[in-house]
Amino acid sequence: MVVLLQALFSGLALGGIYSLVAVGFNITHGTTRTFNFGQGEFLVAGAFVSVSVLLLLAGKGINAPLDAIDVTPTVYAVSLVGGTLVTAVLGVMLYFTAVRPFAGRPGLAWVMSTIGFGILVQNTALAIWGPSPVPMPSPLGNDVIRLAGAGFVPQEILVLVVSVAVLIALDVVMRRTRLGKAMRAVAENRNAATLMGIDVSAVVVGAFVLSSAFAGLAGLLVAPITTASVYMGLTLALKAFSAAIVGGLDNPRGCMLGGFLMGLLEALVGLWHAELREIAIFLLIIVVLAVKPEGLLGRRRVEKV
Amino acid sequence: MKRLHLAGVVAAAAFVILAPFITGNGFHLKVLFMIGVNYLAAVGLNVLVNHTGQKSLGHAGLFAVGAYTAALLTTRFEWSPWLAFAASGVTAGVFGALVALPALRVAGPALAMVTIGFGIVIEKIVSEWQDVFGGQAGIYGVVSPSVGGTDFGPREWVWFTGALCLVAHLAVRSLLRGKHGRAFRAVSHAEIAAESVGVSVYRVKVLAFVVSAITCGFAGALVAQQNQYINSDFITFGLSIFFLLIVLFGGSSPAGPLLGAILLTLLDAFLARWPHIQHFTYGLLLLFALYLMRDGLSGAIGALARKVVPSLGVPPALPTAVGDWQLRAGEVASPDRPLLEARGLRKAYGGVVPVNRVDLDLRTGHIHSLIGPNGAGKTTLINLLSGIVAPDEGSVVFNGRPLAGLAPNRVCRLGLGRTFQNLKLFVDMTVLENVEVGLHAHLDAGMWHTLWATRTAVREEHEARDEALRILDFLDLRDKANERAGSLPYGLQRRLEIARALATHPRLLLLDEPAAGLNPQETGDLIDVIGRIRDRGITILLIEHHMDLVMKISDHVIVLDRGEKIAEGPPSEVQRNPRVIRAYLGDDDAAEDDLPPGIATAGGHG
Repeated sequence: MVVLLQALFSGLALGGIYSLVAVGFNITHGTTRTFNFGQGEFLVAGAFVSVSVLLLLAGKGINAPLDAIDVTPTVYAVSLVGGTLVTAVLGVMLYFTAVRPFAGRPGLAWVMSTIGFGILVQNTALAIWGPSPVPMPSPLGNDVIRLAGAGFVPQEILVLVVSVAVLIALDVVMRRTRLGKAMRAVAENRNAATLMGIDVSAVVVGAFVLSSAFAGLAGLLVAPITTASVYMGLTLALKAFSAAIVGGLDNPRGCMLGGFLMGLLEALVGLWHAELREIAIFLLIIVVLAVKPEGLLGRRRVEKV
Repeated sequence: MKRLHLAGVVAAAAFVILAPFITGNGFHLKVLFMIGVNYLAAVGLNVLVNHTGQKSLGHAGLFAVGAYTAALLTTRFEWSPWLAFAASGVTAGVFGALVALPALRVAGPALAMVTIGFGIVIEKIVSEWQDVFGGQAGIYGVVSPSVGGTDFGPREWVWFTGALCLVAHLAVRSLLRGKHGRAFRAVSHAEIAAESVGVSVYRVKVLAFVVSAITCGFAGALVAQQNQYINSDFITFGLSIFFLLIVLFGGSSPAGPLLGAILLTLLDAFLARWPHIQHFTYGLLLLFALYLMRDGLSGAIGALARKVVPSLGVPPALPTAVGDWQLRAGEVASPDRPLLEARGLRKAYGGVVPVNRVDLDLRTGHIHSLIGPNGAGKTTLINLLSGIVAPDEGSVVFNGRPLAGLAPNRVCRLGLGRTFQNLKLFVDMTVLENVEVGLHAHLDAGMWHTLWATRTAVREEHEARDEALRILDFLDLRDKANERAGSLPYGLQRRLEIARALATHPRLLLLDEPAAGLNPQETGDLIDVIGRIRDRGITILLIEHHMDLVMKISDHVIVLDRGEKIAEGPPSEVQRNPRVIRAYLGDDDAAEDDLPPGIATAGGHG
């Protein structure tokens, strides 16, 4: 029972990470019908830039080991800003080099170009930080918090709180503010949005900034749980994409739901057979695609003939 | 072209035979072997990626299936290495069909993601399930094929791989030049249009996946048997990307995979010492090769060659006298019943009900017109009849057969052809090829014949070409046969859609606004064309807004308004029907200027 409770909680925390990335896919897919297949490498960039910021703030070189004492909540917040800023800038670069020239062209050229961009980011990271994983202490320490007999890792609580807060904020922004309405208008119908005086290109760039920043944030949040590694991106992004498919790629709330479901599934399967986690997730995807290809909360698009 | 190809094949074969005599250097031979392996993987992937337009990012998984099949069969089960090699292609093909299953439901990026998922699952299985696959430690002692008791050495491997590549090239080339090749390209251009002319999009996609899986599986088996070892480190996402890079960089022509395999294998060998730079280069290539060369290196070279030597771009001459086109006689199920009977058809999208309990009887040999104001549900009705949209309620019986639940390609094969209001031509294919795709369902040569270009297959292809030319003759498009469909003027594109639909030998032809966007001259020609089609024994249902056209040629007019049938009958009766006039005009005092001419004269003043 206690084990189950712990697993559920870890699953929710991991789900928060997936939700952040999945919502990022939703934001750019809504506005441009494209998204970044190299998003995983943005998580890597976010995590490593933040680690470097932490090291610089502690007065060390960027390849020195990070000690628990170097990571206080304040510097963690600063590094968070650094990491998301860098990934946001990467998002703008991605849009102009790999998305805009290819969006709307047949044959999914943008899939290849965004993967190419991701490979460049990953190998740049490899050149700077090297292949070995970097353990990152949590700003809240590693003392397990005991509650009702179950132990909770502080970083997981932090991840869950931050991701839920960010997702709620996003939901409010999308539904209540002018900016959010503009984004939804562009997602619904680009031409109509232009005619209504919305600056579509600005909205689209904004979408990539937001989506990339979310990936950077997710990278920083997950690093203390899994350790930061140059190779961690692909599977994380893939699971986040699976989450988006399960929840419904065109529905932000669906993506959030999908993310948490995916985290829970992974944690529960992990209890039973850790090595079956990935396999279970991709089997689920195939079942969902067979039964409800538009996702749990998605809307089926009807092609006009 | 034919001679150029033959010369190329002979040169390549001579090179493969002689190279191992010229160099005994093990490294050189290994590089040659790897070019062959990568070519083999790419030659099938080219069919999937460049011709069918499906992106797979998980072919490392299929490579693994081939490699581990050969490894396990020769070590655990002590199969003969030759048999194990053959089996690796078979199992990879089965897995390829499995990967293609989701293609039934999803397309585009979601499908690409599914293929990545497949690759990762296979990678996880071979690295985690150590009892069977050995994980990172791998499987030693994989048996290599041998001739006369001696195992293959580096030379034999080059010859064996070269021979396989040659066979694969010839088979894939004839596959792409025949009906399947056209179907692949048709599916990559416009899936719905392909379905509407009798091509099963799903089967075409599965076939493309299976072809690419088989060659990729053989590539895997080659590597496992040549190294006599395989472990999980071979199977990475990077390998999938590498295969994809070869076909994207090489381009779609048969020479594409070869160029791509040579250049990228050499690049791989040169840069192997600096893995950072190696991967960085792949990233740059993925990002920028697509900017510079839309159809890869072979496409760019081909375009350049045609510019320098214009005779290369001249299409082969077509036979001049081909005779008159005739509709194939089909069976008539029940001559006394209407050709098509629809009962209580209904379709709702949320609160909008574009078709609400409509009954329809279409009589053999008649020209029926379906008219009604914009938004009356005319196109939805045609989509229901042709199987593109499934009705919520109601039934359709066509020529004695119920159409419920049939895919559009099945409906088409029963003899129901159609055109589209928004043109859906295969724009990058020639006019002739567009019509030949329409003949797809009538070409029966089996896969075996197509792959080896047997006499049966060649004869059938010639017959198909001649029949397509007869149809083009019939519709006065003959002189455009070798032009790109997308480059035709709008009016001719509309007519080409009719030609493509005729090629399916329909008993009933549904024309969705065939006169939209035509000038008066072209509209006049169209009236003539529709009459001639009817005279060949084809029943017609057309949607039209040009009332003079409708009134002139129809035997029977059906009027829809807001999803319901409000009137039907001979044109003269319908013109006088007060409900029809009201539907077009609104209730009482709407402006008569808005009336379509046919209705205005007969209804407004009559």
